[in-house]
Amino acid sequence: MDVELVNIYKTFGRVHANDGISLKVKSGTIQGILGENGAGKSTLMKILSGFIQADSGDILLDGSKVVIQSPADSVKLGIGMLHQDPQDFPPMKVIDNLIIGSPVGLFPNRKKIIKQFEELQKQFNFAISPDTYVDTLTVGERQQLEILRLLWLGAEVLILDEPTTGISASQKALLFETIRKLAAQGKAILFVSHKLDEIETLCSQVAVFRQGKNVGSMVPPYSTEHLVEMMFGKTIARSEKTCDTQDQINFEIDKLKIDDRRLVIKDVSFQIRRGEVIGLAGMEGSGQAMILRALAGIIRPTGGHIYMMDGKPDGRVDLAGKHYFQFRNLGISFLPAARLEEGLVQGLSLAEHFALAEKQEGFLIDREEVEKLSQQRISDFNIRGTPESRIEELSGGNQQRAELALMRNPLRLLLLEHPTRGLDIESSMYIWTKLKQRCAEGASILFISSDLDEVVHYSDRILVFFGGRVSPAFDASLVTIDQLGQLIGGKGWS
Amino acid sequence: MQMLGHCIFTQWKEVELTKFVLTDTVYSDQIPVQYLWRRTFMRSKRLWLVLSIVLIAVMVLAACATPAATPTATSTGPFIYGMLLVGPYNDNGWSTATYEGGLYVQSKIANTQFIYAENVNTASNPSTTAAQFAEQLLQRGAKAIIFNSDDMKDGVLEFATAHPDIPVIWLSGDYAWKEGQRYQPQLTDESDIMGRMEYGKMMAGCAAALTTKTGKIGFLGPLINDETRRLADSAYLGAKYCWENIAKQTTPLTFSVTWIGMWFNIPGVTLDPSQVADDFYTNGFDVVISGIDSTEAVVEANKFRGQGKDVYAVQYDYKDACNVAPDACLGVPYFNWGVALKPMIQSIIDGKYTRQFIWQGPDWTNINNPDTSMVGFQKSAGLSADASTKLDGFISELAGGLNLFTGPINYQDGTTFLAAGAVATDQQIWYMPQLLEGMLGDSVAK
Amino acid sequence: MVSNRTEKAGGFGNILRTLLTNRFSSITIAVLLALIITWLVVLVMDAPPLRVFSIMVNGSVGSLDAATQTLQAWVPLVLATCGLMFTFTAGLWNIGMEGQIEMGAICAYGVIHYMTGTPTPGYVAITLASLAGMAGGAIWAYMVGLLKNYGGVNEIFGGLGFNFIADAFLLYLVYGPWKPEGVAQGSTKMIDAQYWLPQLPGSYLSLWSLGLAIVGILVVTFVLKGTYFGLKLKAVGKNPKASFMMGIPTSRYMLLSFVLCGLFGGLAGSFQVTGFLHVLRNSISGGYGYLALMVGMLANYQPLIGVPISLIFTALNKGATGLVIDLQLDTNFSGVIQGLLVLCVLLMDGVRRRLTKTFRGVQHG
Repeated sequence: MDVELVNIYKTFGRVHANDGISLKVKSGTIQGILGENGAGKSTLMKILSGFIQADSGDILLDGSKVVIQSPADSVKLGIGMLHQDPQDFPPMKVIDNLIIGSPVGLFPNRKKIIKQFEELQKQFNFAISPDTYVDTLTVGERQQLEILRLLWLGAEVLILDEPTTGISASQKALLFETIRKLAAQGKAILFVSHKLDEIETLCSQVAVFRQGKNVGSMVPPYSTEHLVEMMFGKTIARSEKTCDTQDQINFEIDKLKIDDRRLVIKDVSFQIRRGEVIGLAGMEGSGQAMILRALAGIIRPTGGHIYMMDGKPDGRVDLAGKHYFQFRNLGISFLPAARLEEGLVQGLSLAEHFALAEKQEGFLIDREEVEKLSQQRISDFNIRGTPESRIEELSGGNQQRAELALMRNPLRLLLLEHPTRGLDIESSMYIWTKLKQRCAEGASILFISSDLDEVVHYSDRILVFFGGRVSPAFDASLVTIDQLGQLIGGKGWS
Repeated sequence: MQMLGHCIFTQWKEVELTKFVLTDTVYSDQIPVQYLWRRTFMRSKRLWLVLSIVLIAVMVLAACATPAATPTATSTGPFIYGMLLVGPYNDNGWSTATYEGGLYVQSKIANTQFIYAENVNTASNPSTTAAQFAEQLLQRGAKAIIFNSDDMKDGVLEFATAHPDIPVIWLSGDYAWKEGQRYQPQLTDESDIMGRMEYGKMMAGCAAALTTKTGKIGFLGPLINDETRRLADSAYLGAKYCWENIAKQTTPLTFSVTWIGMWFNIPGVTLDPSQVADDFYTNGFDVVISGIDSTEAVVEANKFRGQGKDVYAVQYDYKDACNVAPDACLGVPYFNWGVALKPMIQSIIDGKYTRQFIWQGPDWTNINNPDTSMVGFQKSAGLSADASTKLDGFISELAGGLNLFTGPINYQDGTTFLAAGAVATDQQIWYMPQLLEGMLGDSVAK
Repeated sequence: MVSNRTEKAGGFGNILRTLLTNRFSSITIAVLLALIITWLVVLVMDAPPLRVFSIMVNGSVGSLDAATQTLQAWVPLVLATCGLMFTFTAGLWNIGMEGQIEMGAICAYGVIHYMTGTPTPGYVAITLASLAGMAGGAIWAYMVGLLKNYGGVNEIFGGLGFNFIADAFLLYLVYGPWKPEGVAQGSTKMIDAQYWLPQLPGSYLSLWSLGLAIVGILVVTFVLKGTYFGLKLKAVGKNPKASFMMGIPTSRYMLLSFVLCGLFGGLAGSFQVTGFLHVLRNSISGGYGYLALMVGMLANYQPLIGVPISLIFTALNKGATGLVIDLQLDTNFSGVIQGLLVLCVLLMDGVRRRLTKTFRGVQHG
């Protein structure tokens, strides 16, 4: 099915989210949509899939105009959208998830549906058992399930919004293969991403969005430089490692053991030096998040020690088993990946966040002081917002910057989960500039990332996790992305 | 695809709203400092404004409306007297009986007007006390206030103290009784009226005893106090007398009292009277005497009769209370409040009012004479002709001077209430401390 | 198809939409809607609507006497509302307010009960009774909080449970140990006049309780808006997990919000005894706990907005008593209007949210 969007306008208050965007996607093509956060990609996709309505503009399917008032309308018309976050019902079985929200009547023929499901997934080499519960699936599998569901509902146009976020490398490969197959079947694919390499390997053409406009398109062979220029209106390059690792030991982790119901990690020992950046790599759920949270004092290790050096020779404090607040007070800061769930408070303004994070003197809030501080932080961290902006009104990148701006001074250890996940290149670089400043001041940084490029690029040393096993910390300059990828995939372990 | 010709998206620009509700969007750095606090403040100011406007609108509306019939206290107007009802006026029980008493006076004395407030109790009207309700009646021109319940004892005291010049009539009260325990000498314009319901309850007990085939009578009691013990005991004495002396039964009579905890059902607070009645009927009690102000006993009896059981109930308070199910009802001992209220209101109108404590019995020449008998017994279709005749005999005996409160009678705990031949004083009867020997059930609340 | 209609509606549609999405006008519409429905209800009940409104206004604010009575009845409601602001802010539904008021009344009466006959001066006894009431309410609320924090019992169920216990305890005391001598009905002996909260001559209104209520409003507003404590409580209410991560001891703050709430509820209860009924009796809480929840919801959890709303609610209650006398309407009529108000405001709020929902989706373009 051919899709054509003509002159789509959509404003949110004073923001022109879509400022007259037109886009034409022919059946059988994989249309890449590239742009930084806030460029209007998601808005356009939501309009196409009926989640929001455009202020003006037309949608044409196979050349005829259609009205899409709701997601149900779009499904009926054969448009399926794969969201960034899975839209499924976790405590239900796979098959029930399929049946729910489908027009099969009150008493669906389960056997027939299971058969259809199995046939469908055979086409794409998926292996999801229809009787497992959704919450036992990985993010990648849930995505596969969602694709199957959309196909089963008869989708002819598939929208994929940042589909590679949070899935493993092998799942990504399978996903790309699936997308290519679907295109070959004549489906129109809209692939939304801000990751250049993905767009370049997958898409048969790409449109670049900037500030609500379609600023240009390209067909292979792609020029990365040109694409970046279109995205940002200028070329940018990644910063170099600027931070000098110091030899002074900051923390010493000794035979740390952590018990989770699903996973046991034991005998983890390594040292953290001042000003050092350590990347934790591994498939999601391999134990790296547990280590990070144990070091933050959020989960309690069942064995071993977390020694903090206090500067004197042989002087050290064991933090294992202490309360999270004590960790915090010692300058250990944790930035969770789920920003709006664990890091920031929806409904509170930036100013209120700064007031809360600051060391408080007295009982009363000095509003002028808070206001001044907020303005200062907002400009320091280049946050696009005012002190009165509520946190959920900010874009993802600005939220992430706000989280960084909330960190205390001085810091000894900074623990980050996916610090740049979902951010565009510019934001990511900005975040890392700020982080580098922190380590220049002597803080150590541990971070988790599924972006191997990021791990190799920014880390001084790397720890690889695989199924609860932890590699020794090795020098980042000694590995390539390929080698790292193999380690993460379980190869090369003795 | 062919179906929808074209697609229009209404375009609408946000006015005003943007400033307050929306994101102040990420680009507006020039918004003044301390906007947040002002925003909150402005919001509440706006709401204040709305509420004030609405309030003013309502007041203007009300002012323009037909002025409330504020009764002016001119000498030509009717004499207004007000009554506070503890329950709804149509409860078919206590409140209805007193309400009808009020209406009776209005029909018998020319140029009088009866006003009332119902549901005067803290559960229904938590923010308004009985005394405050009385004030409202006063504002509407009432010259005398009738409080219809013992539950209003605090209200009576408060109101009568605040208005020593307004006659206050307390039904079932005892503040004016010189010999009573709660005598309040300072309330010079307060009177009490009560009927000698002991007789009515004795008749009720007698009717039950003459009807029961199992020899088991249940008494559905309200809360436990002197008055309710007095009435339960009376019913027992009547039942026992008729069982032994008229029905000539030799087996002992079972008489069991279950208190629900209030004069009427309050779900979750009292026992459910329907449930209590059910339990009686399923456990072999074939007559239940109701001591409460509502009609559950007879309703349940009717239900059981529908299932083929031969069971009955005796009602209380209000003359027509059996009408809900006449066949299941033996009769009802009731009050004619008008009998005592009429002369009292008349004396107030005539300026001859003096404080009184009235505890008035039936007119023995005709206990059902609405103009003369304070207490009556209305038979119902459930009472057999034979029992009816025998009951009339019993009533004649009472009229002839039979006093069932004559010793020997023991209290429930075995101590002596009345030695052989001794007759109870009014104080002993009014302030009844226990159930009597031979009765089952609690004498005091547990 | 729908869009076609919108097109035709043109200007009117736009105006309507603007009216519905503006907070100011949407509340006005809600109130008008409630009034219209009330009007219809009155017509159905075969009563003259204008007369009904005039009686209600006269009965609540029409005379000095009525106005002071309304103010008097407003005190416990506004105190309970103030207390609930703490728990609302902390994201908690303290439905146990009713029981907390009752415990306040029980403790206050208890103090006076045992002080009667001792040489304690009246004002000391009243002060102690108020403090005991506050303590009683606070402890009762604290228990709900403990159950929530350490027993994992949702505060709504815990609160309901403790309401029942308080109720049962009250009935036990009134019919048992504290029943007056002689004829016992559902209330205790009246407390001696020296233990009454001083009232304005000829009225029920006590400047003391009124003053304390106003102080209470100011304190709550100030604490919630101007202090770190209030801000932290707000953060806990909006996102306990993130608040904990930011270093706020969330469970301690939740417990504290319960205790503060209970203090206000207990004070309201003690005023019911020392300032209004002068006895302990069943349903002494007067339903103010539940009513205050409605007020708090309507006020969107803003104490200052709660003030006029609670005043209107009390006025409705007071005004409705006249309806019973003059028009023989049911006293629950005021409850009907209150319910309609709440429903209409929530409804319009829902409409407003729905219409502006697209704006909230703004996060990522």
